[in-house]
Amino acid sequence: MLGDITLGQYYPVQSPVHRMDPRVKILLTVAFIVCVFLVGSPLGYVPVALYVALCSRAAGLPLKMMLRSLRPLRILLIFTFVLNLFFGAGSTEIFRLGFVRVTQEGLYNAIHFSLRLIFLVMGSSIMTLTTPPVTLTDGLESLVSPLKAIRFPAHEMAMMMTIALRFIPTLAEEADKIMKAQSARGADFTSGTLRQRAKALIPLLVPLFVSAFRRAGDLAMAMESRCYRGGEGRTKLHVLRAGRRDLIAALSMAGLFAVVLLMARYV
Amino acid sequence: MPIKLDSLSHTYQEGSPFQATALHDVDLTIEDHDLLALIGHTGSGKSTLAQHLNGLLKPTSGRVLLDGQDINDKSTDRRALRFAVGLVFQYPEHQLFEETVRKDIGFGPRNMGLEEGEIDARVREAMDKTGLPYDEIAEKSPFELSGGQMRRVALAGVLAMRPRILVLDEPTAGLDPRARDFLLEDIRRLHKGGTSVVMISHSMDDVASLATRVAVLEKGRLVMQGSPGEIFSRVEELGRMGLDVPQASKLRHLLFDAGIELPECYRLEELADSLADYLKGGAEHAG
Repeated sequence: MLGDITLGQYYPVQSPVHRMDPRVKILLTVAFIVCVFLVGSPLGYVPVALYVALCSRAAGLPLKMMLRSLRPLRILLIFTFVLNLFFGAGSTEIFRLGFVRVTQEGLYNAIHFSLRLIFLVMGSSIMTLTTPPVTLTDGLESLVSPLKAIRFPAHEMAMMMTIALRFIPTLAEEADKIMKAQSARGADFTSGTLRQRAKALIPLLVPLFVSAFRRAGDLAMAMESRCYRGGEGRTKLHVLRAGRRDLIAALSMAGLFAVVLLMARYV
Repeated sequence: MPIKLDSLSHTYQEGSPFQATALHDVDLTIEDHDLLALIGHTGSGKSTLAQHLNGLLKPTSGRVLLDGQDINDKSTDRRALRFAVGLVFQYPEHQLFEETVRKDIGFGPRNMGLEEGEIDARVREAMDKTGLPYDEIAEKSPFELSGGQMRRVALAGVLAMRPRILVLDEPTAGLDPRARDFLLEDIRRLHKGGTSVVMISHSMDDVASLATRVAVLEKGRLVMQGSPGEIFSRVEELGRMGLDVPQASKLRHLLFDAGIELPECYRLEELADSLADYLKGGAEHAG
C-alpha cells in the first residue's frame, strides 16, 4: 500500500555524479535553471538536451527514471501546451476553427514553454536522483551558514529538515502497518463516500499520531543523553569537500552557458 | 478449515532497484487444531508469510488455499476472509485508537455489520477470553492501561471477530515475564477451545511450551517442519541458522555433561519433574 514510498527519488547506484559535493550540485542546479531561462528559441534546447543526456549518462540514470520525474507534471505540461497553442497572441494564423485559432507565434510559444518546463524538471531531478535527501540537507546547511551572521538558524533548520526526512519513511512504514492491522479487523479505506472515507481514516490517524509523539519523545531523550546542544562547535562526521569531479562539472556547466548564450545571440 | 500454502513466493518491489525476495517456494499446510509455531531469524520471511494468510499481501507466485479455495481468487469475499483468519500484528497495542476499550474491541465486530447487542456480547466474550475485567476497564481509555493490558485489548479486538484461525506475530515481544505468562495461557486456552493458531516467535521456550508443530524459515525458504521434539533435536542445524533451543534442552545437556542422564524434554516443568524423579531414585539407591 504505502510500502513503495521512496523519499525524494534517490536512485542508489554508484557514479561520479553521486559522489559529487552536494553544495556544488545545488549551485550547479541553480545555474542550470538560470541557463534554461536564457534559452531564446526552441532550437536553443538542443545543447540543453545534450547536456541533460550527458549528465544522466554520467550519473548512471536510465532514461525511464528521468521520464518518470516528469509524470507528476503531465497535467501542467498539457495545460501549458494547450493554453499557449490556442490562446497565444500573434497574427500569423495557421488555421481557425470557430473562435479557436492557432497562430504561428502560439505554436512557437507552446513548444518553447513546454520544453522549458521539461528541462527544468529533468535537470533538477538529476540532483534529487543522485543525492540522498540527508546529504542534500547537509549541503544546504553549509550553503546558508554564512547567514548565521544575521542570526539565521542554519543548523537548527537543517537539523529539523534532517529529522523530518529521516522519519518520513519510518512513519510511512508505521502507517502501512497500522493500515494493515486495521484492515485485518475489517476496516475499509478504499470504498464509500468521501465522508465515510474521511471517517475511516480515524483508526489510522490516531495511532499514527500517538506513535509520532512517542518517537519524538524518545528521540529528544536520546539526543539529550548524548549531550546535543545545537550547532555551536559541532563537527561533522562527513566533511563536505569539493574535488576534481566537482571542478569538471562546474566547467561543463560553464560550457553549456557559453553555448546557450552564443546561440541566443547569433542563431 | 485448513490453510494450505502452495509454492508461495513473494518479492517486494519487484522490478525496482530495491527488489527483495522475502519468500521462496513455500509449501506448508496448517491443519485444524494445529498450534503451529513459525520460527526463523530476523528477516527470514515469517511476518511476510503471516500476512499472506488473510490476504493482506498477495503472492508474487503460488497460491494460498483456505478450505481448498484460493483466497486471492476474485470470487473470494475478502472481508469475510479477514474475519475468518484473525491476524494480530507485532506490537498490536500500537493500533489502538478508540476512546474506550469497549469501542476498540468492538471495532472488528462493527465492521462485520453486527448489531449493538451482538457486538457487546462479543466484546464481553473476548475480554473474558483474554482475562480482562469488563466492569473495571471497558469504559476506560485504552491509553490508560499497562503495556500488558493494552496488548490483551488488541488481542481481544481480533478475537471479538471469532476467527477460526488466529495468526499471532510475536505475541509476547516486549512484555514482562508475568504479562507474557498470562498471554501464553490465553493462547493455550484458545487453542484448546478449538481455534487453530499460527504463532511467530523468537522465544524457543514459548514454542516448546505451546506448539504442536514447528516450521522453520531461513532466508525465505521453509527448511524444516515437524513436532517440537523433532525440530529441537536438530540443535546444530538450528545453531547454524542463528536459532536457539529451549532452556530445558540446554539444561538437560549440561546435566548430561555432569553425569545425570534424563529423558528428552523441552519444557522446564517436565525437566524439573524428571530431575525430581531422578533425585528421588538416587536417594533410594543411596539409602
